[in-house]
Amino acid sequence: MKKSPLAVLLTLGLLHVPLSAFAATSPLELVGPISDYKIYVTEQLDELASHTQQFTDAVKQGDLATARKLYAPTRVYYESIEPIAELFSDLDASIDSRVDDHEKGVKAEDFTGFHRLEYSLFSENSTQGLDALADGLNKDVKDLQTRVAGLTFPPEKVVGGAAALLEEVAATKISGEEDRYSHTDLYDFQGNIDGAKKIVDLFRPQIEKQDKAFVAKVDKNFATVNKILAKYKTADGGFQTYDKVKENDRKALVGPVNTLAEDLSTLRGKLGLN
Amino acid sequence: MNDSDQQQPSFSAQRRRVLLGMGAAGVALAGSALSCPAMAASTPAQVTEAPSSDKTQDLHDFHGQHQSGIITPRPAAGMLVSFDVLASDREDLERLFRTLNQRISFLMRGGPVAEVDPKLPPPDSGILGPVVAPDNLTITVSVGESLFDERFGLADAKPKRLMRMAGFPNDALEADCCHGDLSLQFCSNTTDTNIHALRDIVKNLPDLLLVRWKQEGSVPPQAPARAGEPAQSARNFLGFRDGSANPDSNDQGAMSRLVWVKPGSDEPAWAAHGSYQAARIIRNFVERWDRTPLQEQESIIGRIKTTGAPMGGQHESQVPDYPQDPHGKLTKLDAHIRLANPRTAQTEKNLILRRPFNYSNGVNKNGQLDMGLLFICYQADLEQGFIAVQTRLNGEPLEEYLKPVGGGYFFTLPGVTGDQDFIGRTLLNATPPKTSV
Repeated sequence: MKKSPLAVLLTLGLLHVPLSAFAATSPLELVGPISDYKIYVTEQLDELASHTQQFTDAVKQGDLATARKLYAPTRVYYESIEPIAELFSDLDASIDSRVDDHEKGVKAEDFTGFHRLEYSLFSENSTQGLDALADGLNKDVKDLQTRVAGLTFPPEKVVGGAAALLEEVAATKISGEEDRYSHTDLYDFQGNIDGAKKIVDLFRPQIEKQDKAFVAKVDKNFATVNKILAKYKTADGGFQTYDKVKENDRKALVGPVNTLAEDLSTLRGKLGLN
Repeated sequence: MNDSDQQQPSFSAQRRRVLLGMGAAGVALAGSALSCPAMAASTPAQVTEAPSSDKTQDLHDFHGQHQSGIITPRPAAGMLVSFDVLASDREDLERLFRTLNQRISFLMRGGPVAEVDPKLPPPDSGILGPVVAPDNLTITVSVGESLFDERFGLADAKPKRLMRMAGFPNDALEADCCHGDLSLQFCSNTTDTNIHALRDIVKNLPDLLLVRWKQEGSVPPQAPARAGEPAQSARNFLGFRDGSANPDSNDQGAMSRLVWVKPGSDEPAWAAHGSYQAARIIRNFVERWDRTPLQEQESIIGRIKTTGAPMGGQHESQVPDYPQDPHGKLTKLDAHIRLANPRTAQTEKNLILRRPFNYSNGVNKNGQLDMGLLFICYQADLEQGFIAVQTRLNGEPLEEYLKPVGGGYFFTLPGVTGDQDFIGRTLLNATPPKTSV
């Protein structure tokens, strides 16, 4: 047993503080990409609204097959813009909360939105008694559209959104917990990845100016993830269910996803955002 | 734990606390001695005042012929983590070993953590503060049988006795807490130090390691041994002293015979100075155990519960005399300690070095406590060691109170001999790099 000479190291002043590792990015340089991002989010929300209308119409008409078919391709638009959607926590809860968010589970009064409908459509194989839930979802999505239209996008939320989307993937998509009744997790997975990639693409010139190798590494990991996801695409442009994903592919997704989460967590700092 | 160096500081610390307590009483009686410095020192601590330890700077050498954490005295906190290796080729695997080497070498030595632009995520979790204290940490790296599959071209170098753990008759193995490509055993003075080290490794190797399962455990500190008496083993969650019959880890001859793979053995040359690690998560049915008569508990284990002595003995360190008890009148023939270690010349070769920790995980669905033993042992020969011992134990009466649910077999890599060396180097060098297709 020895004693460490840490005290000595400390007094030698080994704690120096590099103040900033990056050349400053002018806030003006971020204006263009941020307004482009707002256009992207608005377009995604338009898609979300029209698809949600069709989805909820099917639910209300009692067309179980169509409702089940439209569930995943509808919510994918929400998944791609989650960092912005989540700024409105009341709507995020009513649109996208999962059963685990509720102590009383599926019986909870405030369990509404996509996953509540998913439960009935895929677990109970029924459209019975879903009218109010369908109307509520439609109304909430329209409300989200209005609120986002009036929102000034905070730059740190936009840039930080890339990392936030990867955290979503790492926390709930890899495990197949997001869409536990429909097993359509790969749609959401792709939605999160596309949304994150969009942010990186929009700020690409600014990031490259700071760290070219970083962008190359991020691109490589996005490509790896997309390549694996592509293996599970179906002829109609959708995805196979998550239980079809082979164990070695699940594992092969973890490395690039976690690395993207680590790397993209530095994006705000790289662009000098607080 | 018979390291007198370790016992001494805690003894004096305890003594100091006792003395301070008396001092406080004395001052109170004296009444008005407000300026007395002893007064300040003896003010009762605040609720938030952290427990103090004079062992936070204790450290072990990362370099050596053998890895540390095997014959190193077992500290209070242990954690075994099994990983899937995500490396896709040989080059990645080498990067994994080199990065592990670098992180472990830092974590065991301690030191200031790097500081970065506060706009970036900090590189260190910060849970040990800006200067990491070594806190007696050891991190021991072992590899599982699955690492020797087709991925890295290591098949020809697989240690001869390394295999995927097969369930024993009483096991109820849960797939989620079994096996793995690589295991890391963390041992230190506190859970927090182990967790800090794990988080450091997870953060630094996101593309190469995926946690497969993890089990933490603890060893309850014992009161200092009385002068002239041997230290006593800690108790497990069955309330019995555990490890009483462990071979002497300071006896180099015994360790060389029982724990370390020897150069020139039938194992691959690269494996010399390594060891086999057998890990088992053994759930104890403690409610049921606590409802079992004392004499039955003692006859099932084969020891006196209070002292840890063998049946009919007075001290834990006494060796049971089985030849004098051929029919099991004193110690039942199927008592745990008698089956585990029959103390015969033929079973000498089956001795293992145990390094277990007590674990407590929460509550089972039936409302019973989920706790037991994180059993870890090391041996030079897995078949002659753990597997032979466990096979003798199959069907023992203690099984009614135990259910092994997880674990795995791993090969603990040889030590890192210096700055030019890195963990896993001998394994990589022993096999030609896989030609890419």
